[in-house]
Amino acid sequence: MVKMSLDPVQVKELNVSPSPNGDSRASWEEEEVEEEEEDRLGIATKTKPPKPENAVTVAVSSRVLFRTELEQRVFEQKGVEEYLRYQIEHENEPFAPGPAFPFVKALETVNARLRELYPQSEELFDIVLVTYNHAHVGIRLINTINHHNLFIERFCMTGGSSPIGYLKAWQTNLYLSADADKVREALAEGIAAATMFMTEKLTEVSESQLRVAFDGDAVLFSDESERIFKAHGLDKFFQHEQDNEDTLLDHGPLKGFLEALGKLQKKFYAKGQRLDCPIRTYLVTARSAASSGIRALKTLRAWGLEIDEALFLAGAPKGPMLEKIRPHIYFDDQMFHVEGAAEMGTVAAHVPYGVAQKHNQPQKPGARK
Amino acid sequence: MEMVSTVQNTDVKQKDADRALVVAVTTRAVFDAAAGDVYGMGVAFPLLQKVNERLLEKNPAESLLFDVVLIATDSQQQSSRIISSTSHYGLEVGRFCFSSREDLVETLVVNNVQLFLSTDRDEALQVSQKGVLSALLGRQEAPSESLRVMLCGDAIVRPDCDPVPASRGAAQSFSARLGEMRGRFGVSGSPLSIVLVTSSGGSKSCGVALQTLRSRGLSVDEAYCLAGAPRGPILSLLRPHFLLGDGVIDLED
Repeated sequence: MVKMSLDPVQVKELNVSPSPNGDSRASWEEEEVEEEEEDRLGIATKTKPPKPENAVTVAVSSRVLFRTELEQRVFEQKGVEEYLRYQIEHENEPFAPGPAFPFVKALETVNARLRELYPQSEELFDIVLVTYNHAHVGIRLINTINHHNLFIERFCMTGGSSPIGYLKAWQTNLYLSADADKVREALAEGIAAATMFMTEKLTEVSESQLRVAFDGDAVLFSDESERIFKAHGLDKFFQHEQDNEDTLLDHGPLKGFLEALGKLQKKFYAKGQRLDCPIRTYLVTARSAASSGIRALKTLRAWGLEIDEALFLAGAPKGPMLEKIRPHIYFDDQMFHVEGAAEMGTVAAHVPYGVAQKHNQPQKPGARK
Repeated sequence: MEMVSTVQNTDVKQKDADRALVVAVTTRAVFDAAAGDVYGMGVAFPLLQKVNERLLEKNPAESLLFDVVLIATDSQQQSSRIISSTSHYGLEVGRFCFSSREDLVETLVVNNVQLFLSTDRDEALQVSQKGVLSALLGRQEAPSESLRVMLCGDAIVRPDCDPVPASRGAAQSFSARLGEMRGRFGVSGSPLSIVLVTSSGGSKSCGVALQTLRSRGLSVDEAYCLAGAPRGPILSLLRPHFLLGDGVIDLED
């Protein structure tokens, strides 16, 4: 029998005075660390990362934040040891921005605006790098973060083990990765997640306003209606939606993230910045305004969620509309739409949730993050 | 009249005293006096032994091995019982030291101990303040493929200050030895995993810690930069066997 040997009840609180490291703050309590001064490592208090429970935590993997295709090929062709050797050799060469990069930059812009209005608040975006890369790549990743002036102070490099536990530990609100399996795992744990792909064409996006677009069914809402459509066709779908117009749709995996965005938006509205709000949200759905769209709107209203623009395409292709909106990220459960958006230069992220997955498996080979 | 007596364990092949990585642990961390159970170190022991086995597999003449010294500081414990329990559980202990609490540090120094393992935070702190590197034994609730050694990077990056932590020198040489040992294995499938955690600094400071350790010859497998986030949830995922604080045990549970 193996007994547990470290019982926290028995351990006395350390009261080291003076600390052997010359640190005048003797206690190990977290609160002590956040005193009003620059800490020894040069992080000014006012830009200290917020506590996870207060922040909207966005976890990104290294492959979506940066472009690592070359290194991926080295890994696939020559194995892990050669891959790591290559990374270390090129340590001082920063990676180029990846598909999630503009989105992350936009999050930081919002943070800057929030800090202006609410200097003491911790209700901010917190961006965490979560990768199952080996720590040997750490120095190159950190150099790259510094090179691009990204404010990413937290990371997990798990050296090969699953990052999912860490997502929960960080109270992650959204996880973006290139690895569909990891994304599925996260969704299964109730964490909003989506798979991102590099596109060659990228339309310019706003540097002053974060724009996030969502598909409706199986993203904000559950896939229940899509099931009906897939099983019984469009007519039955319309009938079902009409019959159930006043019944709320069940929630989908990205509902929580929209909610988190809404909370931050309200902070701007409270300071009279509704028109100038640096966050804008969009619903881009194949539903049509006159019929099936009503149920979607009623559901959102009942949830207390505002969406800035709702675009009902009635089945028309989404690409052109997205090209007009220019979101930093667009979430859809169907690869068909993700690819269509990407062709027109929109960064689209696949949410592998619901009935559509049986019909549309992504074709990307699974590979190291 | 106090006497420290050292007894070699004849069941175990003796290590090269100059080259081995000498690790000491008290009987309290290994045996529960009342029930005779093995805990705390109990989970780490087989993994530590597996490291030695794998090292010898690669090179039968390997001298950089873990060498465990078991220290009894409680005069109540009978030496014969300790020795027989060690044998009973098949623990690869190189030497036994029968000492006293007052003579613990001296015993560690005389035996050239590079790492002292304890389940008692106060004891570990007292020992580290006297210049011997200490680590806490982690609680284990799940099996592990490798021996997981965790280093707290905050102390590694703090600029030299006055007074320099007593065990700073010991920490540096230990990292170098550990790094050499880790380097015997490849990236995957290693029986030894090195985990770096920095608690309060940001990503730049974690980068400095990684580079500092690398310059000492220690390549880290996993790195976590908390930048002020609560340690508890992350620590419970990391499940280290040995938690090193580089002179100051600055861990919460």
